[in-house]
This record gives sequence, structure tokens and C-alpha cells, in this order.
Amino acid sequence: MSILIDHNTKVLIQGMTGKEGAKAATAMLEYGTKVVCGVTPGKGGQEVEGKPIFNSLKEAFVRFPDITTSAIYVPPFAAKAAVLEAIENNIPTINVIVERIPIRDTAYFLAAAREKNIRVIGPSSLGYIAPGIGRIGVVGGPLVQEIFQPGSIGVISRSGGMTNELSWQIRKAGMGQSAAVHVGGDLLMGTTYGDLLKLFQEDAQTKAVVIFGEHGGWYEFDVGRGQSAEEKSRTLADVGVMVAERYEDLVTLIQPFA
Amino acid sequence: MNLYEFEGKQLFEKYGIAVPRGCVVRRGDDAAHAYQELDVKDVVVKSQVLSGKRGKNNGIKFCSSADEVARVAAELFDSPIRGQYVAAVRIEEKLEIAKEHYVSIIYDTRTKQPVLVYSARGGMDIEDVPESEIQKYALDVRQEKIGLDIPYAEELWRCFLQEDARLVEINPLVQTVDGRYVAADAKIAIDEDAGFRHKEWTFEPRTLMGRLPTEREEMVKAIDAGEAYYRGTAGKYIEMDGDIAILFSGGGASIANMDALIKAGLKPANYTEYSGNPPREKVHALAKIVLSKPGLKGLWICGGVANFTNIEETFHGIVDALDEIKPTYPIVVRRAGPYEAEGMELMRACAERNNLRIKLFGKEESMSDTARVLVEMVKN
Repeated sequence: MSILIDHNTKVLIQGMTGKEGAKAATAMLEYGTKVVCGVTPGKGGQEVEGKPIFNSLKEAFVRFPDITTSAIYVPPFAAKAAVLEAIENNIPTINVIVERIPIRDTAYFLAAAREKNIRVIGPSSLGYIAPGIGRIGVVGGPLVQEIFQPGSIGVISRSGGMTNELSWQIRKAGMGQSAAVHVGGDLLMGTTYGDLLKLFQEDAQTKAVVIFGEHGGWYEFDVGRGQSAEEKSRTLADVGVMVAERYEDLVTLIQPFA
Repeated sequence: MNLYEFEGKQLFEKYGIAVPRGCVVRRGDDAAHAYQELDVKDVVVKSQVLSGKRGKNNGIKFCSSADEVARVAAELFDSPIRGQYVAAVRIEEKLEIAKEHYVSIIYDTRTKQPVLVYSARGGMDIEDVPESEIQKYALDVRQEKIGLDIPYAEELWRCFLQEDARLVEINPLVQTVDGRYVAADAKIAIDEDAGFRHKEWTFEPRTLMGRLPTEREEMVKAIDAGEAYYRGTAGKYIEMDGDIAILFSGGGASIANMDALIKAGLKPANYTEYSGNPPREKVHALAKIVLSKPGLKGLWICGGVANFTNIEETFHGIVDALDEIKPTYPIVVRRAGPYEAEGMELMRACAERNNLRIKLFGKEESMSDTARVLVEMVKN
């Protein structure tokens, strides 16, 4: 078992004909993720990595009615329309990779998604991975096999680079990951630490979770309440969270539970 | 980006929110003349800084004559507020205050929507107002009207949405003795990511560092401007007092590494972070500016295991700068990710042809450990 992604996950990439979208398609397919098609308005009929491109999601659904996930790779000014199109077509999980989306646009599509109970991960998310099962986005990059292996540690990170770096530290210490999720670094997060902790809690494979958080911000307070950085650490400790001094120490702290 | 009060008030006027009659005086302008032009006897003279708490820090003065205004303005220009540079002063009519209210709109990370905050007790920090006297109304960016009986709520909402603000605040919202509502202060933060739909945004340079941006900071900022602004980020540079040049990659890792560097006993000459797979040209421009600072004693090029940033491409940009500058101080590199072998080979060849003192590390060495390597090299 794993969270967010399983063997039935079927992925559509919005913006697959772009440079980053095409790279992501290759990365996902190489890792065994079932990417079924892409959408780029005006480029219907083309192919990327042997997968068909459609002009709209509506057209894509005619051929592939069982798409479960959309990964969004469009420029920031086109992001709102792209996410709304995914929501209108009732795709249950949307991973917004796009960075620098205006916050008003993010608030708009998050509100629309919530009304339909659609999960949005991101924006500014690099994606997520369930080792041995599949990945959305390019988490792990070309070194994915060296960094990730199936295991019992869940990883949640506010930073894309640190999602990988932390997962590597976990692997280096002889452990593996149940899933690693980059929630994105924007002020508004579609899926929060709290949301993911619930999923990890219900996941039989996960025995412990590592979170790479941030200075400031309020999201850690879904887990424990506090104000300053020190108070944040203290209140997290009060509810049983271990807080590491350095990122390298996270692995030492988590090892006894793996 | 935070706006100055006078910029905020210009936007308020655009949306029909009354502000006190006033004018802006720049450094070197004739404040006494501006006062006479304004033609109001009793005025308030206010420092224009990117910080709150001006009242408590002598940034707001009352005057009643041209001589007084000239003297006070000169004083204010010489008195940074909580370390913040005074960009201008605003002279405006003194209001006959009957009551002070508070109203603001800001994003709430719990509802993931804006929230309107109102209190009948304005004029002080909202943090100091008891929770029982603050009203909060959850909003939705998709709604056009707020429909609340709060002065200027609709105007403020239109301003918030149409100006792509992250925060709009009126504190105090003054109710005058003759019953008018006037925004005595204006605090607005705009969302720079919405810049593509606001060609009218031509605000003067500013930093939150309590000073004007340095020349290098201005130059680096320009790297990410223009059409392809979202193709990788290489435009972050904060100039600092130390002597270790920094070229970090990745936002999260860079913060952890600043801590590691300082803990190891070194002082950063700058904070810099590039991420999101920027092209060689952007990284070259960035590295060149980072290395242009005089008095450097070391260079730390450090990042995590990249997901998609091309190490060869980005290192090519750094190598271009190293070839030009040929530093004699020690350099430590720690990086891994796509095309890491090719990237490290570029560094090795560059070190050889320029006789650089450089040590290269991949993912086997942790980031913090390589800070300690740099300490040893700088010492010797």
C-alpha cells in the first residue's frame, strides 16, 4: 500500500508538449508510472513519448475515461485556466507543478476544487513518489533508483530539493520511504502537512514520518500550536513530534522507528 | 512587495477610499514650499518607511508652520525607523478624530481564502486588541461583493482583488468629528507574481534590509526580469557583511546551509539561491556578480541532491564566471543530481586551467560537513 499513488493511477499531463512537461513525461514513464496522454490546446494530434496529445481534457476523456491524476506543466499565467479545466472534468487528484502563480489565482482554483472534493497538491510542487510504484513529476530525477527504495518512512517537505536530499539521507542510513511528497513552498498549500499525516496514519506501510518545514508560517500548527520558532519547536515536542537541530539529524531521530 | 504609505493611499483613492489631503516630499525637495502649496494650517508629517510602529518611533510629527515643517522633515530624513531607510515624507492635513477603527483583508492559510478583519478599536497594533473585540469574516476570491456593514469594506475588497494584493490594511480608519470616514494610514503588499497583468507597476526599488538596495542587488534582480521570468530563478541576492561568497541552490537547502555556515564559524558575504533549472546564462550573470564583491576569503557552492536542475548546465554558468575571475581563495563544492558527473568534470577542468584551490563533493558528504571543510581551507 502507499498514499496518493497506486498501480491503478493513470496520469494526464497538461502542457506535455512544453520542455518541462515532456521531460516529466519521460521521467514518469521511466519509473513505471502510467502516463496515458497529454493536453495542449492547439497541439492535438501530436505525440510525446508515444502518447497522444489532445486539444482539451474533454477530448482526452473520450479516449481515456479512467484518468485519475493530472500533472500541470503550463506557464504561470495559464495555470488557473488549466487547473479549472481539470476540476471541471472531475479529475480526483491534481498536482500543480507550476511556480509563481498569482496567489489570487491559487485561491480561486483551491476554492473550486474543495467544492468538488478534489485533492490539489501544490502549487510549486515538484510532485510525489511512492518508491517502487510510481512518481508524479520528476522527484528523484535521474538518480531516483539510488535515492528511493520502498520502506516505512513517509517524507513531507516544503522544499523540493530537500524532499530529495532528505530521502537520500534516509536511504543512506539503510532505510526506505513509503512515499515522499513535496507540498510546495507557496503561502497557500492545496494539501497540507495535516492532510498528509492523516493519509500516512492510515497507511499500513508507514511507521514514521519526517517533515521538513519552514521558519515562520502557520502550517505546522495543524500538528501543534505555537508562535515563534522556539515556541513552534516546543509545542510540536509537546504533541510528541521530535524536532531536529540539523537536517542530517532527522535520520538519526527516525531510525529507531523504521 | 510592501508599498509605502503614499503609494497605498494613491491606490485607495483610485477605489474611492477617502484619504487626508496631502503631498509627498522627497529627499532634497523643499518641504516648506510643499506645505505652503498644500494650504492647510495643522498638518501631520510622516516618515515613509517599509515598517510599522512609526508613531512609537518618532516617525510621525504634528506641525503648524512652514518653518516647523522644514525642520521636522529634515529630522525625519535623518532618522531611520527601526532600521528602515526613510524614502520620503508625507505631509497631510491633521484630522479631527472622533473615533478610530481598524479594517484589513489578508490571506488566511487555514481557509486558503482572504479574511476581512475589523475592529472598532483601531489606532493600535491589532495584535494588542483583545480577541473578543475583533470581528473576522471569511471571504472567497470568487465573490464580487462582501455585503457587510463595515465602512469601505467593498472598496477595500475591490482594491484587494484588482490590485492583486496580499494584504490591504487601514489602521486607523478615522471617523472624523463631522462624520466622514478617512483612511489615515495605508498598508498594502502586492503579489509580485501577478506582475504580468500589471504593466502599470513601476514602483521604485526597495529592500526590507533597512537600506536602499545595493548596486549588486539591483543587478541580480534584473537577471530574472523579462519574458522568461519564470524559467528558473537566479535573481536572489542579499548583500551581507561577511567574506564567504555563497552560491546555494534550492530554497529549503539554502536556509539550512546559511545556518550551517554560521554555526561552523564563517560569515556569509551574501545570501544567494538559484533553483528551478535556470539556464547557463542566468547562472553565469549571477555568479559573476556574487564573485565581484571585494574582500572575499572563500566560496561555498552548495546544494542538495537536485531533482531536475541540470548540474552540468548550471555549473557551466559558474565555470564561466570562475574562468573570468580566477579566484585565489578556497572553494568548496557540494552538489548532486542530473548530469552531476559532467558538472563535476567541468569544475575539475576549470580548477586545473586556473590553478584554483577547490574541493569537490557529491551526495556522499552531507551539506553541513562540507561547511567544516571550507573552514579548514580558509584557516590555512
